Formats: sequence, structure tokens, C-alpha cells
Amino acid sequence: MSPKILIIVPAYNEQANIQKTIREIRALPMKPDVIVINDGSTDLTAQEAKDAGAKVVSLPFNLGIGGAVQTGFQFAFERGYDIAVQVDGDGQHDVAYLSTIVDPVLKDEADMVVGSRFMPQQEKGDQSSFVRRMGIGFFVHLIGLLTGCHIYDPTSGFRAYNKKMIKIFAQQYPHDFPEPEAIVLARRFNATIKELPVVMRKRQGGSSSIRYFKSLYYMIKVTFAIVLDMLKSKRTVADYGD
Amino acid sequence: MGIKLLALILSSGIFLLVIELVRRERLTFKYALGWLVASALAVFFSFFHNFLFAIAKFCGFELPSNFIFFGLLCTFVVLGLLLTVFLCQQNNRNDRMAKTIGILEFELQELKKKISSKE
Repeated sequence: MSPKILIIVPAYNEQANIQKTIREIRALPMKPDVIVINDGSTDLTAQEAKDAGAKVVSLPFNLGIGGAVQTGFQFAFERGYDIAVQVDGDGQHDVAYLSTIVDPVLKDEADMVVGSRFMPQQEKGDQSSFVRRMGIGFFVHLIGLLTGCHIYDPTSGFRAYNKKMIKIFAQQYPHDFPEPEAIVLARRFNATIKELPVVMRKRQGGSSSIRYFKSLYYMIKVTFAIVLDMLKSKRTVADYGD
Repeated sequence: MGIKLLALILSSGIFLLVIELVRRERLTFKYALGWLVASALAVFFSFFHNFLFAIAKFCGFELPSNFIFFGLLCTFVVLGLLLTVFLCQQNNRNDRMAKTIGILEFELQELKKKISSKE
């Protein structure tokens, strides 16, 4: 039996990009299911996603990226999916690389695979701004120092997860700016994390949720969250029952 | 004497107000308990201020008023922290409910579609 794959697309006011993203995913040969988590959008994101053929879960109000992605994990867990892949709704993630990040999970080589923009000697796509790269570099070293896990692109939201990680993240997932913290959380559960190079594009439309003073808050919040996470005890997936 | 009377009126007033709020179901007993204990203590010390002075002296305060301000400050710091914990709990519950509602609504729409396609 072929594994059940779910693509989780968190989307907040992404009416300009969502259709293109979904059509690209649906055109893939692996034909995965697509669930768009409409995170309390005030525009036509939900309708556009439905028109493009995606299943849409609409949250009653905006929970932020962490809440939206965790809703996707809960959906995947309840429906018994084997693999979940997070793809942003803004068109930055090139789904042509989907099989690149899904394959190691399928082959049981990793519990979680991160699609990376910054691995050495890889093809360069959108590399983000200089200031953001500095921030990302800081998290690379912080996570490496605390967990011993060197991830070149800890802020990448283009990720694939196996059933174990779906179960864990359905129960517990960081709230805002979750990506770097999710790596640390995964390591607390002794997850095997693999990173593979992917090429990302610039946003196709809309605007990023992390700008101006939010960037500073992002740095402080994520740093604290990562350090605090390290003070928590190691867990296993059995802690969440059968 | 004036200040003692004022303290007595204020603390009794808060005590009675909390009871009235519980009676009107604007406050639940669980959350009113702390206020009832605090205002009852205030009423007690308004009557028997010598106890208050003795405790202040025992704790090393020169003036009983400093002891009262210090006590109030500590109380509000703890109260603020407890309220923040409570706020976080409520926020987590809201988030969990929102996620569940979102998924349930989706499942409801799916069921409705299935039923209407059978009809």
C-alpha cells in the first residue's frame, strides 16, 4: 500500500498566491492530499483554495503560523497520514523539490527533513536579506551549540515529517515563529533530522509577517524559547500514548 | 481614629462587594476566595491594629505603613503572575478549541456533501 501523504499549507491572507501553490502541488506525480489551513484570513484565501481543488480547514480566528501548522498535524494524525509536508502558502517553496524532502522520510532515513537554502555549494535561489541571514546564522550556531544538530536553515518552513513527528507535533508545537524551536523540540524526542538543499523563490505576492520591530521580537522570543526548551527533560513519543 | 474607620469601611466594602458579585454570579467562588480572604484580613486588622503593628515590628519594619505597602506590593506581584498564568491557560484553551472547531467544521461540510450527493 502506498503511503498516505498530506501537504499542509498554512495560509493567512494569501489570495494572490494560494491557487498557484495548490495547482503546482496537484500537478505532481505523487498526487498527495492537500489541506489548506486558512488561518482566519480576511480575504478570499479560503475560496481561492477551494476553487483550486484543496481541502480547506478554516480557523475561526488568526492563531499564527504555529497554530495553523499544528492544526494540519492534528488533521494528519486523526486521519492516519504516514507523511506530512509543510509548504508555505506564499509561493516561496518550489514544490518541484517535494520528492527531495519526502524521499528520506519514505526510506525511513529521517523522522524530519528540512529543505534548506543555505547548504554549502548548493544552487542559490532566494537567499533572504542580509539582516535575516545574520539572524538565521545566529540560530544555526545556537541550535548547534545546544543540541549538537547543525542545521544550515533552521527557519525554513519547507519540511517533511514521518508518523512519529506527526503524532508529537499534533500534541505539542511552538506557537509563534515555530520553525527553529520545532527543531529543538524534535531533538528532545530524539528525532533524526536531515537537511537537504532546495531552491526557494521570492514571495509571489502579499507581504511577510516578520518585519520591522517584529524581527527584534522574533530574535528575542526564539532565543529564549530555544534555551528554555533545552532545560526541559527528554521525551519519547510514548509519552503521548498509543 | 478617622483612618481606622476609613480602613474598616473600605475593607468591609470590598468584602461585601465580592460576596455580592458571587451572589450575582459575576464571580465564581474559586476566584473570589483570594479576595474574600484578603478583605477579611483587612477587616480584622482594621479592628485589631495592634496585631498589625506587632507583625510589622517582628518583620523589622520601622513603620507599620511601610509594612502595609510592602505587603500590598508583594500581593499584587503574586496576583499579577497568577493572572498571567491564568491568561496563558485560557489562551491555550482558546487555541485548542479554535483548531478543533476548524477541523470539525471541515468534517461537517464533508458529511453534508456526502449526504446531499446520496440524496
